[in-house]
Amino acid sequence: MAWYMGIDIGSKTSKGILLKDREVIVKHLLISGVNYRLSAGLLTNFLLDQAGISEKDITSTVTTGNAETVVFSDEYITDIRCCARGMHQVFPQVRTVIDIQGQNSQVILTNSEGQVKNFVISEKCAGGSGRFLDIVANVLRVRIEDVGELSLKSKNPVIFTTGCAVFGESEAISRVAEGISKEDILAGVLKALAEKISALVNRVGLEEPCAVSGGGALNTGIISILEEKLNLSILVPPDPQFITALGAAIFAGEKSINEASS
Amino acid sequence: MTKAVIISDMEICASITYQTGAEHRRQANKVMKEVLNQANLTFGNISFVVATGYGRMNVPFADRQITELTCHARGIASIFPNVHLGIDIGGQDAKALKIRNGKLIDFVMNDKCAAGTGRFLEVIAAVLGLKVEDLGDISAKARTRVTISSTCTVFAEQEVISRLSEGVPLEDVIAGLHDSVAGRVARMARKLKIEPDVVFTGGVAKNRGIVTALEEQLGCHVMVPSEPLLSGALGAALLARDIVVQAIERHQPLPRGPLKLEETTFFQ
Repeated sequence: MAWYMGIDIGSKTSKGILLKDREVIVKHLLISGVNYRLSAGLLTNFLLDQAGISEKDITSTVTTGNAETVVFSDEYITDIRCCARGMHQVFPQVRTVIDIQGQNSQVILTNSEGQVKNFVISEKCAGGSGRFLDIVANVLRVRIEDVGELSLKSKNPVIFTTGCAVFGESEAISRVAEGISKEDILAGVLKALAEKISALVNRVGLEEPCAVSGGGALNTGIISILEEKLNLSILVPPDPQFITALGAAIFAGEKSINEASS
Repeated sequence: MTKAVIISDMEICASITYQTGAEHRRQANKVMKEVLNQANLTFGNISFVVATGYGRMNVPFADRQITELTCHARGIASIFPNVHLGIDIGGQDAKALKIRNGKLIDFVMNDKCAAGTGRFLEVIAAVLGLKVEDLGDISAKARTRVTISSTCTVFAEQEVISRLSEGVPLEDVIAGLHDSVAGRVARMARKLKIEPDVVFTGGVAKNRGIVTALEEQLGCHVMVPSEPLLSGALGAALLARDIVVQAIERHQPLPRGPLKLEETTFFQ
Protein backbone atom coordinates (compact mmCIF):
# COMPACT_ATOMS: atom_id res chain seq x y z
CA MET A 1 0.00 0.00 0.00
CA ALA A 2 1.32 3.43 -0.97
CA TRP A 3 0.11 7.01 -0.88
CA TYR A 4 0.53 9.41 -3.80
CA MET A 5 -0.30 13.09 -3.96
CA GLY A 6 -1.07 15.41 -6.87
CA ILE A 7 -1.15 19.20 -6.39
CA ASP A 8 -2.44 21.52 -9.11
CA ILE A 9 -1.88 25.23 -8.45
CA GLY A 10 -4.23 27.14 -10.72
CA SER A 11 -4.37 30.89 -11.29
CA LYS A 12 -7.67 31.01 -9.44
CA THR A 13 -8.02 27.79 -7.42
CA SER A 14 -5.61 25.12 -6.22
CA LYS A 15 -6.55 21.47 -6.16
CA GLY A 16 -5.05 18.50 -4.36
CA ILE A 17 -5.74 14.77 -4.58
CA LEU A 18 -4.49 11.97 -2.39
CA LEU A 19 -4.42 8.45 -3.86
CA LYS A 20 -4.03 5.21 -1.98
CA ASP A 21 -2.59 3.04 -4.71
CA ARG A 22 -5.04 3.88 -7.53
CA GLU A 23 -8.00 4.91 -5.43
CA VAL A 24 -8.90 8.55 -4.68
CA ILE A 25 -9.13 8.93 -0.90
CA VAL A 26 -9.31 12.72 -0.40
CA LYS A 27 -9.57 15.70 -2.67
CA HIS A 28 -9.68 19.37 -1.82
CA LEU A 29 -9.95 22.74 -3.54
CA LEU A 30 -9.09 26.20 -2.26
CA ILE A 31 -8.60 29.72 -3.65
CA SER A 32 -4.98 30.17 -4.75
CA GLY A 33 -4.58 33.73 -3.51
CA VAL A 34 -1.26 35.47 -4.10
CA ASN A 35 1.06 33.09 -2.25
CA TYR A 36 1.20 29.80 -4.17
CA ARG A 37 3.62 28.24 -1.73
CA LEU A 38 1.20 28.90 1.10
CA SER A 39 -1.77 27.46 -0.84
CA ALA A 40 0.22 24.32 -1.61
CA GLY A 41 1.12 23.96 2.06
CA LEU A 42 -2.48 24.45 3.20
CA LEU A 43 -3.72 21.93 0.64
CA THR A 44 -1.19 19.32 1.70
CA ASN A 45 -1.99 19.75 5.40
CA PHE A 46 -5.70 19.40 4.73
CA LEU A 47 -5.26 16.25 2.63
CA LEU A 48 -2.96 14.62 5.17
CA ASP A 49 -5.32 15.52 8.03
CA GLN A 50 -8.34 14.09 6.28
CA ALA A 51 -6.54 10.86 5.43
CA GLY A 52 -5.07 10.68 8.94
CA ILE A 53 -1.52 10.22 7.69
CA SER A 54 1.67 12.28 7.91
CA GLU A 55 3.96 13.65 5.26
CA LYS A 56 6.45 10.80 5.51
CA ASP A 57 3.70 8.31 4.56
CA ILE A 58 3.52 9.85 1.07
CA THR A 59 5.56 7.82 -1.37
CA SER A 60 5.65 10.47 -4.05
CA THR A 61 4.19 13.88 -4.88
CA VAL A 62 3.82 15.54 -8.30
CA THR A 63 2.93 19.21 -8.65
CA THR A 64 1.53 20.94 -11.71
CA GLY A 65 0.07 24.27 -12.85
CA ASN A 66 1.77 27.38 -11.50
CA ALA A 67 3.62 25.20 -9.02
CA GLU A 68 7.19 25.65 -10.27
CA THR A 69 7.86 27.59 -7.08
CA VAL A 70 6.52 24.90 -4.74
CA VAL A 71 9.57 23.23 -3.23
CA PHE A 72 8.46 20.04 -1.54
CA SER A 73 7.38 18.02 -4.57
CA ASP A 74 9.36 15.18 -6.12
CA GLU A 75 8.63 16.31 -9.61
CA TYR A 76 6.89 19.05 -11.58
CA ILE A 77 4.91 17.99 -14.66
CA THR A 78 3.12 20.46 -16.94
CA ASP A 79 -0.63 20.83 -16.55
CA ILE A 80 -1.06 19.85 -20.21
CA ARG A 81 0.36 16.38 -19.57
CA CYS A 82 -1.41 16.00 -16.22
CA CYS A 83 -4.75 17.05 -17.69
CA ALA A 84 -4.43 14.53 -20.54
CA ARG A 85 -3.44 11.79 -18.08
CA GLY A 86 -6.24 12.58 -15.65
CA MET A 87 -8.86 12.59 -18.39
CA HIS A 88 -7.53 9.28 -19.72
CA GLN A 89 -8.12 7.81 -16.28
CA VAL A 90 -11.77 8.86 -16.26
CA PHE A 91 -12.61 8.52 -19.96
CA PRO A 92 -9.98 6.33 -21.69
CA GLN A 93 -11.72 6.74 -25.05
CA VAL A 94 -11.34 10.57 -25.15
CA ARG A 95 -8.99 12.03 -27.81
CA THR A 96 -9.64 15.79 -27.41
CA VAL A 97 -9.69 17.58 -24.05
CA ILE A 98 -10.94 21.15 -23.81
CA ASP A 99 -9.59 22.54 -20.56
CA ILE A 100 -11.29 25.80 -19.54
CA GLN A 101 -9.32 27.36 -16.72
CA GLY A 102 -9.57 30.57 -14.79
CA GLN A 103 -7.02 32.36 -16.91
CA ASN A 104 -6.34 30.23 -19.98
CA SER A 105 -8.18 27.81 -22.14
CA GLN A 106 -6.33 24.95 -23.77
CA VAL A 107 -7.17 22.20 -26.19
CA ILE A 108 -5.20 18.96 -25.92
CA LEU A 109 -5.14 16.05 -28.38
CA THR A 110 -4.29 12.72 -26.76
CA ASN A 111 -3.50 9.21 -27.98
CA SER A 112 -4.92 5.91 -26.76
CA GLU A 113 -2.40 5.92 -23.86
CA GLY A 114 -3.50 9.32 -22.58
CA GLN A 115 -0.28 10.94 -23.84
CA VAL A 116 -0.25 14.40 -25.39
CA LYS A 117 -0.10 14.47 -29.21
CA ASN A 118 -0.64 18.17 -29.70
CA PHE A 119 -2.04 21.14 -27.84
CA VAL A 120 -2.83 24.83 -28.13
CA ILE A 121 -3.18 27.43 -25.36
CA SER A 122 -4.93 30.80 -25.35
CA GLU A 123 -2.00 32.48 -23.63
CA LYS A 124 -2.05 35.92 -25.22
CA CYS A 125 -5.57 37.03 -24.38
CA ALA A 126 -7.93 36.48 -21.46
CA GLY A 127 -10.91 36.75 -23.82
CA GLY A 128 -11.10 32.97 -24.16
CA SER A 129 -10.78 32.12 -20.48
CA GLY A 130 -13.00 31.85 -17.44
CA ARG A 131 -11.74 35.27 -16.44
CA PHE A 132 -14.01 36.95 -19.00
CA LEU A 133 -16.97 35.23 -17.36
CA ASP A 134 -15.79 36.12 -13.85
CA ILE A 135 -15.55 39.78 -14.79
CA VAL A 136 -19.04 39.97 -16.30
CA ALA A 137 -20.63 37.83 -13.55
CA ASN A 138 -19.17 40.27 -11.05
CA VAL A 139 -20.73 43.24 -12.88
CA LEU A 140 -24.11 41.49 -12.81
CA ARG A 141 -23.71 40.39 -9.18
CA VAL A 142 -24.27 36.78 -10.20
CA ARG A 143 -22.39 33.91 -8.57
CA ILE A 144 -20.13 32.21 -11.09
CA GLU A 145 -21.69 28.82 -10.35
CA ASP A 146 -25.15 30.16 -11.31
CA VAL A 147 -24.08 31.56 -14.68
CA GLY A 148 -24.68 28.36 -16.66
CA GLU A 149 -28.22 27.78 -15.43
CA LEU A 150 -29.22 31.44 -15.83
CA SER A 151 -27.85 31.63 -19.36
CA LEU A 152 -29.98 28.67 -20.43
CA LYS A 153 -33.08 30.80 -19.72
CA SER A 154 -32.01 33.46 -22.22
CA LYS A 155 -34.33 34.04 -25.16
CA ASN A 156 -32.33 36.73 -26.88
CA PRO A 157 -28.58 36.53 -26.22
CA VAL A 158 -26.76 39.84 -26.44
CA ILE A 159 -24.14 40.04 -29.17
CA PHE A 160 -20.85 41.19 -27.69
CA THR A 161 -18.93 43.34 -30.16
CA THR A 162 -15.66 42.69 -28.34
CA GLY A 163 -13.69 39.58 -27.52
CA CYS A 164 -11.66 41.51 -24.94
CA ALA A 165 -12.42 40.70 -21.29
CA VAL A 166 -11.70 44.28 -20.22
CA PHE A 167 -13.90 45.93 -22.84
CA GLY A 168 -16.46 43.18 -22.23
CA GLU A 169 -16.93 44.60 -18.75
CA SER A 170 -17.86 48.05 -20.09
CA GLU A 171 -20.10 46.48 -22.70
CA ALA A 172 -21.92 44.49 -20.02
CA ILE A 173 -22.40 47.68 -17.98
CA SER A 174 -23.86 49.47 -21.01
CA ARG A 175 -26.29 46.60 -21.61
CA VAL A 176 -27.37 46.68 -17.94
CA ALA A 177 -28.01 50.42 -18.32
CA GLU A 178 -30.21 49.66 -21.31
CA GLY A 179 -32.29 47.37 -19.14
CA ILE A 180 -31.31 44.09 -20.80
CA SER A 181 -31.77 41.01 -18.62
CA LYS A 182 -28.90 39.26 -16.84
CA GLU A 183 -29.80 36.03 -18.62
CA ASP A 184 -29.37 37.59 -22.07
CA ILE A 185 -26.10 39.27 -21.13
CA LEU A 186 -24.65 36.08 -19.65
CA ALA A 187 -25.71 34.03 -22.65
CA GLY A 188 -23.97 36.64 -24.82
CA VAL A 189 -20.72 36.35 -22.86
CA LEU A 190 -20.83 32.57 -23.10
CA LYS A 191 -21.27 32.87 -26.86
CA ALA A 192 -18.25 35.17 -27.12
CA LEU A 193 -16.26 32.76 -24.98
CA ALA A 194 -17.36 29.72 -26.98
CA GLU A 195 -16.33 31.58 -30.13
CA LYS A 196 -12.76 31.92 -28.85
CA ILE A 197 -12.61 28.34 -27.57
CA SER A 198 -13.91 26.81 -30.77
CA ALA A 199 -11.31 28.86 -32.68
CA LEU A 200 -8.69 27.14 -30.50
CA VAL A 201 -10.24 23.74 -31.24
CA ASN A 202 -10.11 24.45 -34.94
CA ARG A 203 -6.46 25.47 -34.72
CA VAL A 204 -5.38 22.13 -33.29
CA GLY A 205 -7.99 19.98 -35.04
CA LEU A 206 -10.69 17.94 -33.37
CA GLU A 207 -10.67 14.20 -32.75
CA GLU A 208 -13.71 12.58 -31.18
CA PRO A 209 -14.68 11.78 -28.52
CA CYS A 210 -14.23 15.14 -26.87
CA ALA A 211 -14.36 15.97 -23.16
CA VAL A 212 -14.12 19.16 -21.15
CA SER A 213 -12.26 19.83 -17.90
CA GLY A 214 -11.41 22.73 -15.61
CA GLY A 215 -13.71 25.10 -13.75
CA GLY A 216 -15.37 26.11 -17.02
CA ALA A 217 -16.70 22.57 -17.38
CA LEU A 218 -19.06 23.21 -14.45
CA ASN A 219 -20.85 25.72 -16.64
CA THR A 220 -23.67 23.92 -18.42
CA GLY A 221 -24.33 26.98 -20.57
CA ILE A 222 -20.93 27.04 -22.22
CA ILE A 223 -20.97 23.32 -22.85
CA SER A 224 -24.28 23.44 -24.66
CA ILE A 225 -23.07 26.35 -26.84
CA LEU A 226 -19.82 24.53 -27.61
CA GLU A 227 -21.71 21.35 -28.49
CA GLU A 228 -23.84 23.33 -30.88
CA LYS A 229 -20.88 25.15 -32.43
CA LEU A 230 -18.69 22.07 -32.82
CA ASN A 231 -21.65 19.88 -33.71
CA LEU A 232 -20.85 17.00 -31.37
CA SER A 233 -21.65 15.94 -27.83
CA ILE A 234 -19.08 16.70 -25.16
CA LEU A 235 -18.32 14.43 -22.20
CA VAL A 236 -18.17 16.05 -18.77
CA PRO A 237 -16.32 14.08 -16.09
CA PRO A 238 -17.43 14.23 -12.45
CA ASP A 239 -15.42 16.91 -10.62
CA PRO A 240 -13.92 18.39 -13.81
CA GLN A 241 -11.78 20.84 -11.81
CA PHE A 242 -9.78 17.95 -10.34
CA ILE A 243 -8.79 16.25 -13.61
CA THR A 244 -5.34 17.85 -13.74
CA ALA A 245 -4.61 17.15 -10.06
CA LEU A 246 -5.74 13.57 -10.63
CA GLY A 247 -3.31 13.25 -13.52
CA ALA A 248 -0.53 14.59 -11.30
CA ALA A 249 -1.33 12.07 -8.55
CA ILE A 250 -1.35 9.21 -11.09
CA PHE A 251 2.02 10.35 -12.44
CA ALA A 252 3.32 10.33 -8.85
CA GLY A 253 2.23 6.70 -8.57
CA GLU A 254 3.67 5.64 -11.95
CA LYS A 255 6.94 7.40 -11.21
CA SER A 256 7.56 5.58 -7.94
CA ILE A 257 6.58 2.22 -9.47
CA ASN A 258 9.01 2.82 -12.35
CA GLU A 259 11.75 3.80 -9.93
CA ALA A 260 11.11 0.74 -7.78
CA SER A 261 11.33 -1.60 -10.78
CA SER A 262 14.47 -0.03 -12.24
CA MET B 1 -15.12 61.16 -20.68
CA THR B 2 -17.61 63.60 -22.21
CA LYS B 3 -16.20 66.91 -23.39
CA ALA B 4 -17.86 70.07 -24.65
CA VAL B 5 -16.34 73.11 -26.32
CA ILE B 6 -18.07 76.36 -27.29
CA ILE B 7 -16.29 78.61 -29.77
CA SER B 8 -17.09 82.05 -31.08
CA ASP B 9 -15.79 83.31 -34.41
CA MET B 10 -12.27 83.53 -33.13
CA GLU B 11 -11.69 81.67 -29.91
CA ILE B 12 -12.73 79.07 -27.35
CA CYS B 13 -15.35 80.57 -24.99
CA ALA B 14 -15.78 77.63 -22.65
CA SER B 15 -14.83 73.99 -22.33
CA ILE B 16 -15.66 71.20 -19.95
CA THR B 17 -14.77 67.53 -19.32
CA TYR B 18 -16.92 65.04 -17.40
CA GLN B 19 -16.91 61.33 -16.66
CA THR B 20 -19.35 59.78 -19.14
CA GLY B 21 -21.04 57.10 -17.01
CA ALA B 22 -23.79 54.84 -18.30
CA GLU B 23 -26.50 57.36 -19.19
CA HIS B 24 -25.10 59.06 -22.24
CA ARG B 25 -28.10 61.21 -23.10
CA ARG B 26 -28.64 62.63 -19.68
CA GLN B 27 -24.92 63.26 -19.37
CA ALA B 28 -24.79 65.07 -22.72
CA ASN B 29 -27.53 67.42 -21.54
CA LYS B 30 -25.84 68.03 -18.23
CA VAL B 31 -22.50 68.78 -19.85
CA MET B 32 -24.16 71.14 -22.33
CA LYS B 33 -25.92 73.07 -19.56
CA GLU B 34 -22.68 73.38 -17.60
CA VAL B 35 -20.66 74.61 -20.53
CA LEU B 36 -23.38 77.15 -21.44
CA ASN B 37 -23.30 78.40 -17.85
CA GLN B 38 -19.57 78.73 -17.97
CA ALA B 39 -19.76 80.73 -21.20
CA ASN B 40 -22.67 82.77 -19.84
CA LEU B 41 -24.81 81.83 -22.83
CA THR B 42 -28.16 80.15 -23.41
CA PHE B 43 -28.82 77.29 -25.80
CA GLY B 44 -30.53 79.81 -28.09
CA ASN B 45 -27.20 81.60 -28.57
CA ILE B 46 -25.61 78.51 -30.12
CA SER B 47 -25.74 78.52 -33.93
CA PHE B 48 -24.86 74.91 -34.57
CA VAL B 49 -23.99 71.78 -32.58
CA VAL B 50 -21.82 68.92 -33.85
CA ALA B 51 -21.61 65.73 -31.78
CA THR B 52 -18.74 63.28 -32.10
CA GLY B 53 -17.23 60.21 -30.44
CA TYR B 54 -18.73 56.83 -29.49
CA GLY B 55 -21.78 58.45 -27.99
CA ARG B 56 -22.44 60.93 -30.79
CA MET B 57 -25.84 59.38 -31.56
CA ASN B 58 -26.84 59.95 -27.94
CA VAL B 59 -26.65 63.73 -28.03
CA PRO B 60 -30.33 64.69 -28.35
CA PHE B 61 -29.69 68.35 -29.21
CA ALA B 62 -26.99 67.90 -31.87
CA ASP B 63 -27.58 69.25 -35.36
CA ARG B 64 -25.13 66.85 -36.95
CA GLN B 65 -22.96 63.88 -36.03
CA ILE B 66 -19.41 63.65 -37.39
CA THR B 67 -16.96 60.80 -36.69
CA GLU B 68 -14.29 61.41 -34.08
CA LEU B 69 -11.55 60.76 -36.64
CA THR B 70 -12.53 63.77 -38.73
CA CYS B 71 -13.06 65.91 -35.64
CA HIS B 72 -9.73 64.94 -34.10
CA ALA B 73 -7.86 65.73 -37.29
CA ARG B 74 -9.54 69.13 -37.50
CA GLY B 75 -8.95 69.91 -33.83
CA ILE B 76 -5.29 68.88 -33.85
CA ALA B 77 -4.52 70.74 -37.06
CA SER B 78 -6.06 73.92 -35.67
CA ILE B 79 -3.48 73.91 -32.87
CA PHE B 80 -0.53 72.45 -34.78
CA PRO B 81 -0.91 73.41 -38.47
CA ASN B 82 2.15 71.37 -39.50
CA VAL B 83 0.92 68.11 -38.01
CA HIS B 84 1.47 65.03 -40.18
CA LEU B 85 0.73 62.31 -37.68
CA GLY B 86 -1.82 62.49 -34.88
CA ILE B 87 -1.83 59.87 -32.14
CA ASP B 88 -4.83 59.73 -29.86
CA ILE B 89 -5.00 57.37 -26.89
CA GLY B 90 -8.28 57.45 -25.01
CA GLY B 91 -10.02 55.28 -22.48
CA GLN B 92 -11.53 52.93 -25.05
CA ASP B 93 -9.23 52.96 -28.04
CA ALA B 94 -6.04 54.19 -29.63
CA LYS B 95 -5.78 55.67 -33.08
CA ALA B 96 -3.17 57.10 -35.39
CA LEU B 97 -4.23 59.70 -37.95
CA LYS B 98 -2.35 60.70 -41.06
CA ILE B 99 -3.12 64.38 -41.59
CA ARG B 100 -2.23 66.57 -44.58
CA ASN B 101 -3.15 70.24 -44.71
CA GLY B 102 -5.48 69.80 -41.78
CA LYS B 103 -7.40 66.95 -43.43
CA LEU B 104 -7.56 63.31 -42.52
CA ILE B 105 -5.88 61.14 -45.21
CA ASP B 106 -5.62 57.75 -43.54
CA PHE B 107 -5.93 56.16 -40.10
CA VAL B 108 -5.37 52.98 -38.10
CA MET B 109 -7.06 52.18 -34.84
CA ASN B 110 -7.39 49.59 -32.10
CA ASP B 111 -10.67 49.30 -30.28
CA LYS B 112 -10.68 45.50 -30.10
CA CYS B 113 -8.27 44.97 -27.24
CA ALA B 114 -7.76 47.01 -24.09
CA ALA B 115 -3.97 46.65 -24.27
CA GLY B 116 -2.44 49.81 -25.70
CA THR B 117 -5.33 52.01 -24.55
CA GLY B 118 -5.95 54.16 -21.50
CA ARG B 119 -8.05 51.36 -20.11
CA PHE B 120 -4.91 49.26 -19.64
CA LEU B 121 -3.44 51.93 -17.36
CA GLU B 122 -6.77 52.49 -15.55
CA VAL B 123 -7.21 48.82 -14.73
CA ILE B 124 -3.68 48.42 -13.41
CA ALA B 125 -3.68 51.72 -11.51
CA ALA B 126 -6.89 50.58 -9.78
CA VAL B 127 -5.31 47.28 -8.76
CA LEU B 128 -2.31 49.10 -7.31
CA GLY B 129 -4.49 51.69 -5.57
CA LEU B 130 -2.93 54.51 -7.60
CA LYS B 131 -4.52 57.40 -9.47
CA VAL B 132 -3.99 57.31 -13.23
CA GLU B 133 -2.98 60.96 -13.14
CA ASP B 134 -0.05 60.12 -10.84
CA LEU B 135 1.47 57.40 -13.02
CA GLY B 136 3.55 59.81 -15.11
CA ASP B 137 5.24 61.36 -12.07
CA ILE B 138 5.87 57.96 -10.48
CA SER B 139 7.54 56.57 -13.61
CA ALA B 140 9.78 59.65 -13.86
CA LYS B 141 11.65 58.30 -10.81
CA ALA B 142 12.43 54.96 -12.47
CA ARG B 143 16.11 53.96 -12.71
CA THR B 144 15.51 50.93 -14.91
CA ARG B 145 12.34 49.54 -16.33
CA VAL B 146 10.73 46.18 -16.16
CA THR B 147 9.66 44.47 -19.37
CA ILE B 148 5.98 43.55 -19.18
CA SER B 149 5.73 40.49 -21.40
CA SER B 150 1.95 40.03 -21.30
CA THR B 151 -0.05 41.82 -23.94
CA CYS B 152 -3.43 41.19 -22.36
CA THR B 153 -4.46 43.67 -19.64
CA VAL B 154 -5.78 40.86 -17.47
CA PHE B 155 -2.50 38.94 -17.63
CA ALA B 156 -0.39 42.09 -17.27
CA GLU B 157 -2.23 42.81 -14.03
CA GLN B 158 -0.92 39.53 -12.58
CA GLU B 159 2.52 40.10 -14.02
CA VAL B 160 2.71 43.49 -12.32
CA ILE B 161 1.68 41.98 -8.99
CA SER B 162 4.32 39.25 -9.38
CA ARG B 163 7.07 41.79 -10.16
CA LEU B 164 6.12 43.91 -7.15
CA SER B 165 6.07 40.87 -4.88
CA GLU B 166 9.59 40.08 -6.09
CA GLY B 167 10.59 43.46 -4.74
CA VAL B 168 10.93 45.41 -7.99
CA PRO B 169 10.41 49.14 -7.25
CA LEU B 170 6.98 50.48 -8.17
CA GLU B 171 8.41 53.21 -10.43
CA ASP B 172 10.31 50.65 -12.53
CA VAL B 173 7.15 48.60 -12.99
CA ILE B 174 5.09 51.66 -13.95
CA ALA B 175 7.79 52.70 -16.45
CA GLY B 176 7.52 49.19 -17.91
CA LEU B 177 3.76 49.60 -18.27
CA HIS B 178 4.27 52.88 -20.11
CA ASP B 179 6.69 51.14 -22.48
CA SER B 180 4.10 48.46 -23.09
CA VAL B 181 1.36 50.96 -24.03
CA ALA B 182 3.69 53.17 -26.09
CA GLY B 183 5.18 50.12 -27.85
CA ARG B 184 1.82 48.80 -28.90
CA VAL B 185 0.60 52.17 -30.15
CA ALA B 186 3.90 52.88 -31.95
CA ARG B 187 3.72 49.52 -33.77
CA MET B 188 0.24 50.42 -34.90
CA ALA B 189 1.22 53.97 -35.93
CA ARG B 190 4.12 52.65 -38.04
CA LYS B 191 1.56 51.24 -40.45
CA LEU B 192 1.17 54.90 -41.42
CA LYS B 193 4.32 56.89 -42.04
CA ILE B 194 5.98 58.38 -38.96
CA GLU B 195 6.55 61.93 -40.14
CA PRO B 196 6.91 65.00 -37.90
CA ASP B 197 5.15 66.97 -36.60
CA VAL B 198 3.75 64.24 -34.42
CA VAL B 199 0.97 65.36 -32.08
CA PHE B 200 -0.28 63.24 -29.20
CA THR B 201 -3.80 63.78 -27.77
CA GLY B 202 -6.40 62.02 -25.63
CA GLY B 203 -6.46 61.55 -21.88
CA VAL B 204 -3.34 59.38 -21.92
CA ALA B 205 -1.33 62.28 -23.41
CA LYS B 206 -1.47 63.89 -19.96
CA ASN B 207 0.87 61.14 -18.79
CA ARG B 208 4.41 62.40 -19.36
CA GLY B 209 5.78 58.88 -18.91
CA ILE B 210 3.89 57.75 -22.00
CA VAL B 211 4.98 60.87 -23.92
CA THR B 212 8.64 60.06 -23.24
CA ALA B 213 8.18 56.36 -24.03
CA LEU B 214 6.40 57.25 -27.27
CA GLU B 215 9.19 59.65 -28.26
CA GLU B 216 11.73 56.88 -27.75
CA GLN B 217 9.68 54.35 -29.71
CA LEU B 218 8.95 56.68 -32.60
CA GLY B 219 12.40 58.30 -32.59
CA CYS B 220 11.09 61.84 -32.85
CA HIS B 221 9.73 64.70 -30.79
CA VAL B 222 6.08 64.35 -29.79
CA MET B 223 4.00 67.47 -29.18
CA VAL B 224 1.09 67.60 -26.76
CA PRO B 225 -1.51 70.39 -26.74
CA SER B 226 -2.23 72.09 -23.41
CA GLU B 227 -5.69 70.46 -23.28
CA PRO B 228 -5.11 67.06 -24.91
CA LEU B 229 -8.60 65.77 -24.05
CA LEU B 230 -10.40 68.50 -25.91
CA SER B 231 -9.06 68.11 -29.45
CA GLY B 232 -12.04 66.02 -30.63
CA ALA B 233 -14.62 68.36 -29.16
CA LEU B 234 -12.68 71.36 -30.44
CA GLY B 235 -12.60 69.83 -33.91
CA ALA B 236 -16.37 69.26 -33.72
CA ALA B 237 -16.89 72.93 -32.77
CA LEU B 238 -14.65 74.08 -35.64
CA LEU B 239 -16.54 71.89 -38.10
CA ALA B 240 -19.80 73.35 -36.76
CA ARG B 241 -18.41 76.82 -37.47
CA ASP B 242 -17.36 75.71 -40.99
CA ILE B 243 -20.95 74.59 -41.65
CA VAL B 244 -22.35 77.91 -40.43
CA VAL B 245 -19.82 79.95 -42.44
CA GLN B 246 -20.51 77.93 -45.57
CA ALA B 247 -24.29 78.37 -45.21
CA ILE B 248 -23.86 82.13 -44.83
CA GLU B 249 -21.52 82.38 -47.84
CA ARG B 250 -23.93 80.41 -50.03
CA HIS B 251 -26.96 82.28 -48.65
CA GLN B 252 -28.53 78.98 -47.63
CA PRO B 253 -30.54 78.30 -44.48
CA LEU B 254 -28.63 76.53 -41.69
CA PRO B 255 -29.28 72.76 -41.81
CA ARG B 256 -30.23 72.59 -38.14
CA GLY B 257 -31.59 69.53 -36.42
CA PRO B 258 -35.08 69.64 -34.90
CA LEU B 259 -33.99 68.78 -31.37
CA LYS B 260 -33.81 70.89 -28.26
CA LEU B 261 -32.04 70.80 -24.94
CA GLU B 262 -34.61 68.75 -23.08
CA GLU B 263 -34.27 66.46 -20.16
CA THR B 264 -33.89 63.09 -21.82
CA THR B 265 -32.56 59.88 -20.40
CA PHE B 266 -31.13 56.73 -21.76
CA PHE B 267 -34.12 54.82 -20.47
CA GLN B 268 -36.79 56.57 -22.51
